[in-house]
This record gives sequence, structure tokens and C-alpha cells, in this order.
Amino acid sequence: MTTHATKISAEQVQVHYGDTHAIKDVSIGILDNTVTAFIGPSGCGKSTFLRCLNRMNDTIDICRVSGDIKLDGHDIYDPSVDPVQLRARVGMVFQKPNPFPKSIYDNVAYGPRIHGLARSKSELDEIVETALRRGAIWDEVKDRLHAPGTGLSGGQQQRLCIARAVATQPEVLLMDEPCSALDPIATAQVEELIDELRENFCVVIVTHSMQQAARVSQKTAFFHLGHMVEYDDTSTIFTNPKDPRTESYITGRIG
Amino acid sequence: MVNNHIASAFDRDLDKIQAQIMKMGGLVETAIRGAATAYELRDLDLAAKVRANDKTIDQIEETINDECSKLIALRAPTAIDLRLVLSVFKVSSNLERIGDYSKNMAKRTIVLEGLANSHDRRLGLKRLAREVELMLKDALDAYVNRDLDLARDVIARDMDIDQMYNALFREFLTYMMEDPRNITPCMHLHFMAKNLERMGDHVTTIAEQVVFLVTGQRDEDERDKGDMTSSDPEMSKTSKG
Repeated sequence: MTTHATKISAEQVQVHYGDTHAIKDVSIGILDNTVTAFIGPSGCGKSTFLRCLNRMNDTIDICRVSGDIKLDGHDIYDPSVDPVQLRARVGMVFQKPNPFPKSIYDNVAYGPRIHGLARSKSELDEIVETALRRGAIWDEVKDRLHAPGTGLSGGQQQRLCIARAVATQPEVLLMDEPCSALDPIATAQVEELIDELRENFCVVIVTHSMQQAARVSQKTAFFHLGHMVEYDDTSTIFTNPKDPRTESYITGRIG
Repeated sequence: MVNNHIASAFDRDLDKIQAQIMKMGGLVETAIRGAATAYELRDLDLAAKVRANDKTIDQIEETINDECSKLIALRAPTAIDLRLVLSVFKVSSNLERIGDYSKNMAKRTIVLEGLANSHDRRLGLKRLAREVELMLKDALDAYVNRDLDLARDVIARDMDIDQMYNALFREFLTYMMEDPRNITPCMHLHFMAKNLERMGDHVTTIAEQVVFLVTGQRDEDERDKGDMTSSDPEMSKTSKG
């Protein structure tokens, strides 16, 4: 496997929700052009940690984040960083497809419009088409771009949300269980898409399906009780993990 | 570690394939011992029995292959579970080969009895067979108990097997040089010795599976090959040649 540059580096990250210590001393280097999977039982902190990476936790009042998280070497928690600009660079896709109650076109055009990425209608058309192609949904929606996004099937809605997330030309895509509300066919389509997205983006995915982590990622981090227990090549994690807790979890011995 | 999956049916499946391996191992041990004893005591009934029993060994191997494929398809084993299934696959095919070699020894025992000039020095082969049988027993014990030390001991002992085979090779060669009438029986005896030497290699592979199963890695050091008959021209020279 070729080695890619480190895109995000986290050092000794701690997260507290009020009195609860949710993330304990997590350090990790996430590589560019790589799919990194976060796995672990419910409540292990994997989603919390994911949400630190684009400061989504800022929106929760009682949440405190400490430690260092750098994107391309720059501290994303620096006071000079605008979280909205940050989230344009670090996009996010959620568990349930959540298209805006707007047309397919406007769903995708929304981000580029507010960030002023297009100077003309034709430029915007181009951005929307590119994003929908990257979301592997262009062929299915090109004839009904002005139909409501909410009218699509679940799998199509999720791919629309991915297209919306890539439309602002982010560098990193965070995905929080993007397939948990999808059927196996739609899941396979999204997984295929994730593999293609790796060409242009750094992708981090939180998943409850260990088989999905095994299928789509090159690197896997196992979280347990707020600690990052083990981080290694996915093939190593699933064939010969070093930590007995990782082994117990992936072989279905602890929940 | 094995008996605590959240899905208890997974444990039962894993236990089942391991029990099959043990059953197969027991039958193969019996086959080696039977083949050696039949040769030693010229017991043709026993030789025939060894030949017939090989069918059961083959059937168990098929059952194990089916069970393993099913387990992989349905349970998607990972880590230690995956290594266990892979090792069961390998060990069963090694055991099957050892069974075949035992059967072949039994066949040759029957042929040797029919020869006028049957060779009568039976000690060397008997010792070799005894060693291989012991190695197999230890390899299987190491497998059940996940005993790395015992597994590595078995791997080291393959050297002794090879040396015993080398000695037999030279011995047979000498007899054949002495009297051409010895050639036919000695050819058969040599094949039997070679069978035993190959069994030793398969036993070694089983022991290597124990190392892989326990550590997830294969031992680095390529072990020395003790069988010199195929590489050292000196081995094929006799005092008369």
C-alpha cells in the first residue's frame, strides 16, 4: 500500500460532556486519500470523536474539547478559524439521509451558493452536475433535477446528501453510519461510492457494521470506553489485531 | 477464548470442526501405526484394514471442508476465529495426505509379501514409523492445547526424520548394489521410507499451523532440510561405486 500524507492529526484529545469524560487521550494521524473506519460498541466515543474533526461538538453547550486537532498542520480549534468555513473543508454525511425540503438541484447548489463558489448560473450547473456524478446519482436524477429531493428513495437520498457534501469541494468527508438506514443494494452502492471518493478526499467513516469497515476502509481505529484501543491497517485489525479487546470485539465476544 | 461468543451457535460450529479434526487425527495415527505394525509382523489382514479405513479419513476431510466453507459463508470469521478455520482447512488436508501415505505403505506390505526375495531387515523402517507417529501425536496435542513450545519441538524433530530417511536410503542402495535380486523389494522399501519422510513433512506443516493459529504469524526461520538425497550427489554414491 502506498503511504499517503497525514491529513488530520489529533494529539491527546479529551472530550467532556459536563462531568462525563467521553474521549480519553486520543491521538491519531488520519491519512489523505484513505478511508479510515472508526469502529466500537455503542457509547465508545467514535461518533463524538468524529464530530470533533469538524467542530460539530461546538453546537453542544456542555461539551468541552481539549488537546490538538490539526488539519494540514493548522489547529482547527484556533480562535481565528471560522467553524462554518472549516465545515466547508470538512464535510459531513449523517446516519439518516436528510435532504433539504428543496429540489434535487437546490440541495446540491445550497453549499456552493452560500460559500460563493459559483460566479454564474452555468458555473453552478457545472458544480451541481459534477457533485451529482461524484455522488454516483447523476444518471438517476439528471432528468428531474427540479423534483423535490425528499421524493427520492432512501438510498438515492443518501447519495444526494453525499453529492451535497462534496459540492463545496471539501478535503475531508466525515460519514456517521451512512448506510445504517439503507437496504443492502443501496448500501453496496454507497460503499462503491466511498471507494471512489477516496481518489479525491480523505474519508472517515463511523460504522456499526464491522463487515462494512472491513469492506470499505484501508485503516481502522477501534474505540472502547472513550479510548482508542488500536489503530492499524484494516487487514491487520481483522486478521491479527494486537489488543485482546479489539479481538474480542471484532470476533463478536464483547458488545 | 473460544467458548464465549455472543452468538453461542458460532461456538458450537467452531467446536464441531475442531472435534472433526481430532477424530480424523486419531484415525490417521491409527493408520500409521497399523501400516507399521502390518509391515513389521507381516500381518496382511491388518494391511488390508489400513487400506479400507482410508475411505473414512477421506470422508471426514470432505465433511470438514463443507463445514468450514459453511462457517466462512455464514459467520464471516475474523482474527483468531478466521485463523482457526484456516488452520482446520490446512490440518485436515495434511492429515488426509498422511492417511494416503499410510495406505500406500499397507499396499506395499502386501506386495512385498508376494515377492520371492522379500527383504528382511525391518528395524530401520519400524523406528522411522514410530518417530513419525509420535511426532503426529505431539503435533495434534500441540494443536488442541495451543502449545507453542511443543509445536516448535515437533518442527525441530523433522530433522531427525530426514536423517533417518537418509540412512535408510543409503542402506537400501547398498543392498541393491550387492545383489540385483534385492532391487525390487528395496525399491518398495525405499518408497515406504520416503512415504514416512513425507508424512514427517506434513506433520511439520500441522505444527506450523499451531504457531500461526496462536501467534498470527509464521516463524521466520526456514528450517533446514535434512533430506540430502535429492540435493547432495555424495548421498547416491556407494562404497562400491
